[in-house]
Amino acid sequence: MKVIEIKNVHKIYSETEIEVRAVDGITLDFHEAEFVAIVGPSGSGKTTLLNLLGGLDIPTSGQILIDGIDLSKLKSSELIDFRMRNIGFVFQAYNLIPVLTAKENVEFIMSLQKWSRKDRDERTFELLKAVGLEGRANSRPAKMSGGQQQRVAVARALASRPKFVLADEPTANLDSKSATTLLEIMEKLNHEEKITFIFSTHDPRVVKMAHRVITLEDGKVVTDDIRE
Amino acid sequence: MIIEIAWKNVWRNKTRSLVVITAMAIGVFAGVFTMAAINSSVVQRIDSAVNEELSHIQVNNKDFRSSSDIQNIISDPSSVFSVCEKTSGVVATTGRIIVRGIASTSAKSTGVEINGIDVEKEKKIFKLSDKLIQGTGSYFGSDTKFNTVFIGEKLAKELNIIRYILTPEAISKIEAEGVPSAVITNLEPLSGQRFISDKKFSKAFENLLTKADRQKYSMIIKEAAWSYRPGSKIILSFLDIDSNQTGAAFRVCGIFRTNNDMFEGMSVFVPVNELRTLTGMGENRFHRIIAKIEDNDLTDKITSEIRTALPGLEVLSWKEIQPDLAMMADMMQQIYAIFMVIILAALAFGIVNTMLMAVLERTRELGMLAAIGMNRKKIFSMIMFESIFLSIVGGIAGMAVAEAVIAVTAKNGINLMKYSEGMEAFGYSAHLYPTIEPQFFITTTILIVITGIISSIYPARKALKLNPVEAIRTE
Amino acid sequence: MKDFQLAWRNLWRNKRRTLITAASVFFAVFFALVMRSFQLGAYDRLFKNVIESYTGYLQFQNRDYLDDPVLDNSFEVDKNFFDLAAGDPNVKSVVPRLESFALCAAGSKTQGVIVMGIDPPGEDEVSGIKQRLVRYRLTPKAINGLKNEPIPDRTKRLMDVFKNESYASEGRLMLDLGISEEDSSAILPIIRQHASFTNGYLTSGDKTYVVIGNGLSVYLKAGVGDTIVLMGQGYHGTTAADKYIVSGIVKLPAPDIDNIIVYMPIDAARELYAAPGMATSAVIRLKNNSDEAILQTAERLNKIVPEPMAIKTWQEMNALLVNQMDADNKSGMIMIGILYLVIAFGVFGTILMMMAERRREFGMLVSVGMQKWKLAKIVSLEMLFIGFLGVCAGIIASLPVVFYGNFHPLRFTGEMARMYEDYGFEPVMPTMLPDTFYLWQSVVVFIILSVAIVFSIRKILKINVITALRA
Repeated sequence: MKVIEIKNVHKIYSETEIEVRAVDGITLDFHEAEFVAIVGPSGSGKTTLLNLLGGLDIPTSGQILIDGIDLSKLKSSELIDFRMRNIGFVFQAYNLIPVLTAKENVEFIMSLQKWSRKDRDERTFELLKAVGLEGRANSRPAKMSGGQQQRVAVARALASRPKFVLADEPTANLDSKSATTLLEIMEKLNHEEKITFIFSTHDPRVVKMAHRVITLEDGKVVTDDIRE
Repeated sequence: MIIEIAWKNVWRNKTRSLVVITAMAIGVFAGVFTMAAINSSVVQRIDSAVNEELSHIQVNNKDFRSSSDIQNIISDPSSVFSVCEKTSGVVATTGRIIVRGIASTSAKSTGVEINGIDVEKEKKIFKLSDKLIQGTGSYFGSDTKFNTVFIGEKLAKELNIIRYILTPEAISKIEAEGVPSAVITNLEPLSGQRFISDKKFSKAFENLLTKADRQKYSMIIKEAAWSYRPGSKIILSFLDIDSNQTGAAFRVCGIFRTNNDMFEGMSVFVPVNELRTLTGMGENRFHRIIAKIEDNDLTDKITSEIRTALPGLEVLSWKEIQPDLAMMADMMQQIYAIFMVIILAALAFGIVNTMLMAVLERTRELGMLAAIGMNRKKIFSMIMFESIFLSIVGGIAGMAVAEAVIAVTAKNGINLMKYSEGMEAFGYSAHLYPTIEPQFFITTTILIVITGIISSIYPARKALKLNPVEAIRTE
Repeated sequence: MKDFQLAWRNLWRNKRRTLITAASVFFAVFFALVMRSFQLGAYDRLFKNVIESYTGYLQFQNRDYLDDPVLDNSFEVDKNFFDLAAGDPNVKSVVPRLESFALCAAGSKTQGVIVMGIDPPGEDEVSGIKQRLVRYRLTPKAINGLKNEPIPDRTKRLMDVFKNESYASEGRLMLDLGISEEDSSAILPIIRQHASFTNGYLTSGDKTYVVIGNGLSVYLKAGVGDTIVLMGQGYHGTTAADKYIVSGIVKLPAPDIDNIIVYMPIDAARELYAAPGMATSAVIRLKNNSDEAILQTAERLNKIVPEPMAIKTWQEMNALLVNQMDADNKSGMIMIGILYLVIAFGVFGTILMMMAERRREFGMLVSVGMQKWKLAKIVSLEMLFIGFLGVCAGIIASLPVVFYGNFHPLRFTGEMARMYEDYGFEPVMPTMLPDTFYLWQSVVVFIILSVAIVFSIRKILKINVITALRA
C-alpha cells in the first residue's frame, strides 16, 4: 500500500533574478512501515522535500498524494486538518509547548481532535511508556534534557496514529547516548505501530539504522537504496 | 484546551505580565474610585432634593408656577388627596400654602418663599426636621403663643441673625478640635467680641493668623464661634388673599442646615394655620399637594397615573421640576464610560505592545503549532484569550481594590472642606461618601474584556501571517 | 557625533521596535494634550462667560463695599480719576453702576427688587444687556396665529409646552421648539411675524423709563408702557420713592435675578436714592484679559486710586466662583494624573521589553570590546530620540484636534444644551489653544522617559556577558 506518492514534483523559487530549483523533478513512493533516511549536502533539497511532504509547502508542479489524496487539491483549512490527522512532525528543536507538561503535550493533538478523556489518557500513557518517560509525565519541557524532550516529541507525533512521521534532523542537538536512545525508540515504534518514518538527516547514526536511504543532490534523487 | 494554554502562556514572562496587569489594575482602580466619588456627589444631591426640598410628586394649580399668585389654588384638594392616596406606591401626602414675600430684620431684608405646612404630615415626607442645627431650637417643638418659623442657615446669616463670638465655650471647642495653643493665643484680642457676619469675623482674624493657619483652621474657628440666640424674631411680609400688604413677626423656632445654599436662603416654613389666618385663606385651601412614593424607580409611572387622574391640574415629578438633576444621573453614566474608555485606550496600547512582543518571540513555537495542526481560528483565539486574561486579571484586581477603598471611605467620607463654599452654592455636599452602583462594575468588566479583544487583533494577525515553513526553519 | 549616528542608525535597524516604543510615547502625549486642552477650554469659556457678563475683571469700589454691599458704602464719582483710569494703556472704558434694594409695586402687587442704575451704552458693552432684551414671546395669540402657518408639527406641539415663554435669543427659541439649523432660515421669519415683541432700551440722562426683568414683569403683570412704583432706603437713611414707566423687558438667564431686576439710567437711580454723583461700583473694561495683563493693570491703577476707593479683582469679587474653578481644576488634574500613571506604566513596560529583547545584542557588543558606559550612552541616545519622536508626533497630531475644537467646538444638544443656556452660557465645549500647558505635558512625558532611561542604564552597566549571550 502506497502511503505517499510523489509524482514528478518540482519546487522552483524565483524571487530573485536567479531561479532556484530546490526540488527538480522527484518521483518517489513510500510504503507502510518504512524507515527512510533522506540524505544530501546542504542545499540539496532535503528540507524542501520534507516541507512538501508535510503539506507545509506547495509544489510548483507535480503531485503529492497521501493515501490517494492530492494535497494541492485541499483548501488551506482542510490542509491543516489533514496534517493534524495524518502526519506527525518531529523538528530539530521547539517541538513542545513550553507551558504544558509532557503528558499535556502528548495529549494536545488528541484533544484538538476531541478524543474522549478515557481514550486520551490511555493512549498518552501507552506512548509515554513506549518512549520510556512515563515517570516524567508531569514535567514541563524546561525541566527535561534535550533527549527527553525529543522523545516526548516522538510520542506527541504518534499520538493520533498518523500515516507517517516526518523528522527533520531530530538528533542534531543531541549527544550520542541520547541520540542512540531516541533512534532505538523510533525504530521500535516503527516496528510495533507500523508507522512510516521519514528522516531528513546528516547524522550517520540515523543513516546506519535506516532501512532505506535516499540521496539527494541539487534537487534530484541520486540514489535510492533499500537495505536489509 | 486553548484557554488553558492561553492562561499558562500569560505567566511565562512573569515580569512583563505583571507590569501590564499592575498598570491595568491602577487604571481601573483610579477610574472606578473617581467615579464613585463623583457619583456619590450626585446621588447625595438627588437624595437631598427629593428628601429635603421637593419630594417625589407635586400637584399644583395649572398657573401657579408661572405666576405665584395667591389666588392660584387647587380648587378641590380633597379629590387630589384621595387620588394620590389611592394610587399604589404613594406612602404619604401633604398640602401646602405657598406665598412669596419678604423676610426682614432691622438690619436686612430679602425675598423668600413662605411655605405653610402641616407640621406633622411633613415629617413623614421630608427629612428637614433632622437637619436642625443643635442648639438653635426645635422643629416647631415648643408651644408658644407667637407665630413660629423654621428657616435655613443661609437666610439666618443673611439677616444677620447668626453671630460669631469667641466665648470661652467656643475657645474650648477650638482646643478640643486640636488647634495648637499658639494659634488660640493669637486669637485672644477677639474674645468676647460679637461679629454680625461671617465676612466681618473672617476679616478680623485675617490679620491675626498666618495664611497657613487660616487655611487649616478657619473652618473650625468659625464653627466654634457660631452663635445664635434661640428665639430671635423676623418679620415676614406678603400679600393676603385680597392683595393687601400684610405680615407679622415670627419667632424663629429653629434653624436648619442642608447642603443647598439656595434652598436655605429662599425657603421658610411656618405652620399652615398661622399662614391661613394671616392671608385670609379658608380651610382646606392649598396651593400645592405633595406625594411621597416608596420606590424612586417608579416615579415616572406613578406620576403619569396621577396625571391622568387629575386632568385639570399640573402634576409633576421631581425629574420634571428639576430636569437637570435627572439629567445629572444619566450624564454620570456617560462621563464614566468616556473616562474609563480613555484610560482603557491608554492601557490597550500597553497590552498591544506586550502581546506583540509575546507573539514575536514565539515565532518558532507558533510555526510548530501551525504545522502540527492548530488551525488559524485556534491560534487567533489563543492570542485573544491571552490578551483578555491580561486585561481581566488587572481589571479584577483594580476593581477589588476600588471596592475595598470605597467601602472604607464610605464610612467616614472624604471631606473636601476647602471646596465646600463653591459646592454648596450649587447644592452639593463637599463631604463625599463614595458609592457606586453594581452596574458600574458590570459596565467596567465589559469594557475591559472588549479592550482585551481589541488589543489582541493586531498581534494575532501578526501571528497568523507567520509561515510555518519559515517559522520552524533551523538555522 | 559618531555616537549620535550610531544611535540613529540603530533605531532604524529594527523599525518595528522603534515605532512601537515611539508610538507609546506618542499616544501618551496626544491624549494628555487633547484631554487637558478640552478641560482648560471648558473652564476658561465657562468662567469667562460668568465673569464678563456681570462683574468684569476689575472694578472700582469703596473699600468696604465688598464686605458690606450697602448704599452707604458707595463712592463719589471723581471724573478726573475716571479719565485718568480710562487713559491707562490697557483700559477701554470705565462704566459706573449704582445698585441698591427697593420695594416695587404695580397694581396690587409688591416685590422686593434690585435697582441697577447703569450707564446705558457703557453697560451694554460690559454685559451685553441689549442682547438680553426680549425679542419673542409665545403669547396665546401668537401661538394661535402660528398654528395656521406652514411649520413642522413638532414645533407646533412644543409651542404649547412653552406657552407664555419669552425669548431674548433665537438660539434658545430654536432649542425649545426643536428647530434645526437647516430649518431655521425658513421658520424663524414666520415666528418673527407673529411672536415678535416690541421692546425698548434706556437712554442716558432720562429719568422716566426703566427696563425690568421678564420674571418681574410677569409677576407684577407690568408690561411695556405700564407704570411701576419704587420705594427704598436712600443714601444715609433717607427714604426714596418714585414712579417709572416700563420701556423694555429683558430676560436674564438666572431666574433669581430675572425675577427682581430693575435697570434705570444711573442719574435716575441717583435721584431716587438721593445720592448725587455716587456709584456703588465701576466696571473697568480691559483690552487684554490675560492674567498678567489684569494684574499689571490692577497694580498700575492701585497706585493712583484715591481713598476710600479700591481696585477689586474678579477673584476677590467672585470668591465663590474661584472656589468652584479651583475644585474643577483640581479634579481635572487628578484625571490627567491618572492618565499619566497608566501611561508611565505603558512607556516603562515597553522599554523594559525592548531591553530584554536586545540582551543578546548587548552581550555581543560588550564581548567584542564596546565599553559598557559607551553602550549605555548610545542606548540612552536612542531612547531620547524615540522620546523626541513620540513627543513631536503627539504634539503635531494634537494640533488639528485642538484647533478644530476651538473654532468648531463640541456643541451640546438637548437637555445639556438647555442647562447651559439656563445659566446663560453658550452650550459648547471648546478647547484651549496651545499654551504653557503644552510645555508642561511634554515635560512630564520626558520625566517619565528619563526614569525609564536611568533604569535601563543601570541594567546595561550590570550586564553579565555570558548570561546575556545565552539569551
